[in-house]
Amino acid sequence: MSRALAIALLLLAVAACNRGSSDRGATRVALNWKPEPEFGGLYEAVHGGAFARHGVSVEITGGPGAPVVQMIESGQVEFGVVSADEVLIARDRGVDLVAVFATYQTNPQGIMVHAQRRATALPEVFSEGGRLAVEPGLAYVKYLQQHYDFSKLAVVPYSYSIGPFLTDAGLAQQVFVTAEPIAARRSGADVRVFLVADSGFNPYAAVYATRGSRAREARAEVEGFVAALREGWSGYLRDPRASNQAMARLNTEMDAETFEKAAAAQRPLIESVSAGGALGSMTTERWDELGKQLQALGLLDHPAKPGECWFDAGTSGSTR
Amino acid sequence: MTRVRAEIVLPPVIALVAVAALAEGAIRAFGVSPLVLPAPSAVASAAFERAPILLPALWTTARSVLVGLALSTIVGVGAAIALASTRWVERAFYPYAIFFQTVPIVAIAPLLVIWFGYGPPAVVAAAFIVSLFPVIANTLAGLQSVDPDLRDLFRLYGASRLATLRKLAFPWALPNILTGVRIAAGLAVIGAIVGEFVGGGGLGLVVLGAMREQRTDLVFAAVLYASALGLALFAAVDLACRVTLRRWQRHDAGER
Repeated sequence: MSRALAIALLLLAVAACNRGSSDRGATRVALNWKPEPEFGGLYEAVHGGAFARHGVSVEITGGPGAPVVQMIESGQVEFGVVSADEVLIARDRGVDLVAVFATYQTNPQGIMVHAQRRATALPEVFSEGGRLAVEPGLAYVKYLQQHYDFSKLAVVPYSYSIGPFLTDAGLAQQVFVTAEPIAARRSGADVRVFLVADSGFNPYAAVYATRGSRAREARAEVEGFVAALREGWSGYLRDPRASNQAMARLNTEMDAETFEKAAAAQRPLIESVSAGGALGSMTTERWDELGKQLQALGLLDHPAKPGECWFDAGTSGSTR
Repeated sequence: MTRVRAEIVLPPVIALVAVAALAEGAIRAFGVSPLVLPAPSAVASAAFERAPILLPALWTTARSVLVGLALSTIVGVGAAIALASTRWVERAFYPYAIFFQTVPIVAIAPLLVIWFGYGPPAVVAAAFIVSLFPVIANTLAGLQSVDPDLRDLFRLYGASRLATLRKLAFPWALPNILTGVRIAAGLAVIGAIVGEFVGGGGLGLVVLGAMREQRTDLVFAAVLYASALGLALFAAVDLACRVTLRRWQRHDAGER
């Protein structure tokens, strides 16, 4: 409680100080998680020199629990990594946030169950009953609750530990397909994972966002950042080893094998761009669909304007 | 009586209004986003409008807090009596009682779910763990501060250990016990909400959901409800304190 208050006061102070300051110097990027393969292209662009070639010097900050939306809004960082639903919700709350690059074209969120369960598809996981551990307030959980039978299911909070899952055969839980399933299998569990995207709710994830004013006023800089990031991702998909090593030095909890497996697991989710699109590219149709879904869930107070929530930074940097 | 009430009630109300007005003014002057820090007026309206969500959550949290606090009071007083019984017991176990004060509850909270299961049991356990130590420490201090002359008197009359505890040590320690419970009450609220972060239910769950939905006003409204719960408990223990002590003092005066 006091931590939330402290963060709020800190942000207030920063918001007051940062007002009007110029964006010269390093371009700061706030992550919402530890250095893991979901940021592989970013680290590749740093270490492989893509940012340098585009004249951008990047400083990576943030981490688990970082209030990324607030950090972007208050001017503490130039870019932040969020999910597409966060972008739309923030815009609905009056924050001028625009997406510039969408790492995951297919959402990597899923529901993991013990393989011994009979469920062969997502609806059966819920109708079977038992417990489902999810973070409270997640948009996709609301979507699933609206579309499937949750009457026999007890929804409990997920607190980033697979401990309860490992000790409870009747517990299903939310996962990032690049993280928890790999950890659970390493711990000896036999698990099955169902992608939430298959249910029809598929927001872009690991989305790089910036302030709308910045995208308009510093267009060339934003385009340079995106082009470099795209080069980074191309490079990381070709060979993730160097960047995995760089990230492993910063995230010592994760071993080399897990980095390798996670990078392999996420690959199809990143490469599944719409026809003719470059890595990270987005379409107004996808944003429109998500906006309608979020509004139907009661998460948006006003209809979303799908054309305004993303910034087309072009397709340069693409080697595909 | 009304004058006295006004003297008690007015200063904190004036302080609240002044601080809220100052915050409101500063937030508007700096144009702080409601997502970063909502204005007091926004928090107040969320507290009012979202009452249908907040009140049942408050009730859930309150029940866990009350059970946790009752447990820590019973266990804490019992443990302090055991510790006070003999020197070596105190020497052997008191250092470990301090352990409860230093438990980083956030760190072990996920384990509580594995040990006690989701829902109220884990929440009660979290409230209990963080509120136990002040009860033990204060009760022990009270039991050990009994006037040695009175102890000698009881020994002289051949009073049993139990009689000495019931008639002398416990009444003597009562003010300390209640001080301990008063401190424990606030801690139990914090413990329960942290417990709810992992165990589910109550205001803790509302806070998490509101954070995720970027409804910062609702986060602060839930915090407001939690503070109200803490204040109400504090007042209740204070009242219990005054009532019991008055009876004890009268009883004490009659004996003499």
